Amino acid sequence: MTPTTTAACVLLAPLASAAVITLFLGRRGSAAAAVSVAAAAFVAAGALALAFGGARFTAAWEWLRFGSFSFAMGFKFDDLAALMLAVVGVVGLCVHVFSLGYMRDDGAKARYFGGLSIFMFSMAGIVLADNLFMMFIFWELVGFSSYFLINHWRERLSASDAAKKAFVVNRVGDFGFLLGIIVCYWSNGTVSLAALGGGPAGAHAVYSRLIPLLLFCGAVGKSAQLPLQVWLPDAMEGPTPVSALIHAATMVAAGVYMLCRIDVLVVPQARAVIAWVGTLTALYAALCAVTQRDIKKVLAYSTVSQLGYMVAAFGLGSVGAAMFHLTTHAYFKALLFLGAGSAILGCHHEQDIFRMGGLRSRMPVTFWTFTVAVAAIVGMPGLAGFFSKDAILVLAFESNRAVFAVLAFTAILTAFYMLRLWKIAFLGAPRSEAAEHARDPGIAVTAPLVLLAALCLVGGYWRAYPRAFEGVFATIPEAHGPAHAVVLAVSILVLVVGAGTALAFYATDGSDSLERRSGAVFGFLAALRASFDKAYDAYVAKVQQRAAMVLNFIDIVGLSGVVVRGLAGAAEFAGVGIRALHTGRLSTYVYWFLGGVVVLWAYAAGLL
Amino acid sequence: MTPSLEAYVLLSAALFAVGFLGVLVRRNTLVIYMCLELMLVAATLALVAFSRFNGTEDGDVFVFFILTVAAAEVAVGLAIIVALFRARGTVEVDRLDSLRH
Repeated sequence: MTPTTTAACVLLAPLASAAVITLFLGRRGSAAAAVSVAAAAFVAAGALALAFGGARFTAAWEWLRFGSFSFAMGFKFDDLAALMLAVVGVVGLCVHVFSLGYMRDDGAKARYFGGLSIFMFSMAGIVLADNLFMMFIFWELVGFSSYFLINHWRERLSASDAAKKAFVVNRVGDFGFLLGIIVCYWSNGTVSLAALGGGPAGAHAVYSRLIPLLLFCGAVGKSAQLPLQVWLPDAMEGPTPVSALIHAATMVAAGVYMLCRIDVLVVPQARAVIAWVGTLTALYAALCAVTQRDIKKVLAYSTVSQLGYMVAAFGLGSVGAAMFHLTTHAYFKALLFLGAGSAILGCHHEQDIFRMGGLRSRMPVTFWTFTVAVAAIVGMPGLAGFFSKDAILVLAFESNRAVFAVLAFTAILTAFYMLRLWKIAFLGAPRSEAAEHARDPGIAVTAPLVLLAALCLVGGYWRAYPRAFEGVFATIPEAHGPAHAVVLAVSILVLVVGAGTALAFYATDGSDSLERRSGAVFGFLAALRASFDKAYDAYVAKVQQRAAMVLNFIDIVGLSGVVVRGLAGAAEFAGVGIRALHTGRLSTYVYWFLGGVVVLWAYAAGLL
Repeated sequence: MTPSLEAYVLLSAALFAVGFLGVLVRRNTLVIYMCLELMLVAATLALVAFSRFNGTEDGDVFVFFILTVAAAEVAVGLAIIVALFRARGTVEVDRLDSLRH
């Protein structure tokens, strides 16, 4: 089997799984789960075989042709795609297996696993796409599967609202993405990534600035950057494995991946914008995370914050640092979400961390794997997050000190809110009946946790990776001399400060210490969190709704009333008048005849 | 002495007026039909008179055509009236108002 065929199989296997589930297994949840997990296992195996098999290739087929415009479908499988596909495959398989346990008693299991398969298909399509049009198609497909899976518990109003919000907000970003593709095609004559890689020949300067920024809009929507970050925390209404796979590890990282794909198009002016958007997102989301009570919301804001790191790393010019953090983040954030899912399952779907507590002794596997993930995300030396975050800090230290300062402060916040979550949820005494009787769920839930924990432990040593991803990791910045020492000292300092403050500050007594002891700060952070939603609500209610009402008035009164109804009314009115002439009496018609003769005669005589 | 052309034309006009008024005011289809014939005859009379006083044959030719057509018309028209009576049981025009709105 040639690598191209393997890639095609990896792409199409989940689609086949989704088709089989939808068509034949709608009522047989266990069979659907088996098919879906098998497809995910195939994707993981195929992805790893492709990545470590060493084959790097491009292939394209013409799909549609309109005159001189040709629409190609193809694969561009380089080190970047290999890395991303491997991450998607491994995390996807873990989440599929975890779902076996988490969704065991769900009524709509077949629909859920069908959705997961559709997602795997769409995500593989984004990763493999060799041109922007194809990427856009799969981009919309992951948007759809995200909508579909957030909405899984559709009987809950909040879930369907969150799904709609995610879809609409993403649409805003995707519109910019589409415009970017159009401008790119218009000015470069091609959207093929390989052809664009040859350098945007003949592109005008203004387009070369416009294109990456418009394409970046797509990443802003999908990767939940400011100002379109509002959908991601709400998306936590979906089942927890979905949050782990789609809204933490892979789909939201697709924005970063897309930026890395179009690296050659991004000019320095655009990079500065991208870097600052990422930096501010990282800071904003970290501030929001501090006040959350819902375990998944904390992790959601943490995801937004870490995505901000990746976008900032890309903006500062390093694809390697962005992708490295994307990879390690996929491991530890998927583990955090799955650990949270395990805790939620153990506590009978209790998501409020202040009603958990004491899970350390009751759910040891969950506790220890979650602890590894927390250590990884806060940058404990030796774990995955430490290396990737360090790479970004080194990069920022060398190229932009202001960004470095903000990111370092964000790292303090990261350590602060993660340790807060960890301490309140797992330590102390149980604070609810459910937490009292929590137990580690079965092997299907714990096995993925252990596997991901192992990846968190070793995932940061990229030099130990096989040489498969050399093309990406070779560009990771490395500090030498004093800069190295400074960054190392800073990253350990922020960890100690953030973690130490959180551990000392928060008590495990079932109340939020920040709210109790410093209500003003808490209120400010809560208001900051709500500010975007409030602004959008105000915009929708005050501006958009009114514009819609004006248009509605024009439609109802002007078009429907005057034009459509008016013409029909005129004809009807004329009909009423003329109908009166039809009396059915012969003499009336004779009079009309007489009148007609008189008129004709008068006309002939020149009287008229 | 022979009557003048004016007398013929006046007679013709009077006959036409009688026929026209009959069409307007009578209710029985058969009578209306006879009034229509009266109007045709009035026209024929005027044509004959003009032909006679002009000393040409043009009007006479018209008359022959009119008589022929009128005969054919009567054949068709009476058949229609008979059929109408069979279908409706009446030939009063006031009651034949199916074309009313």
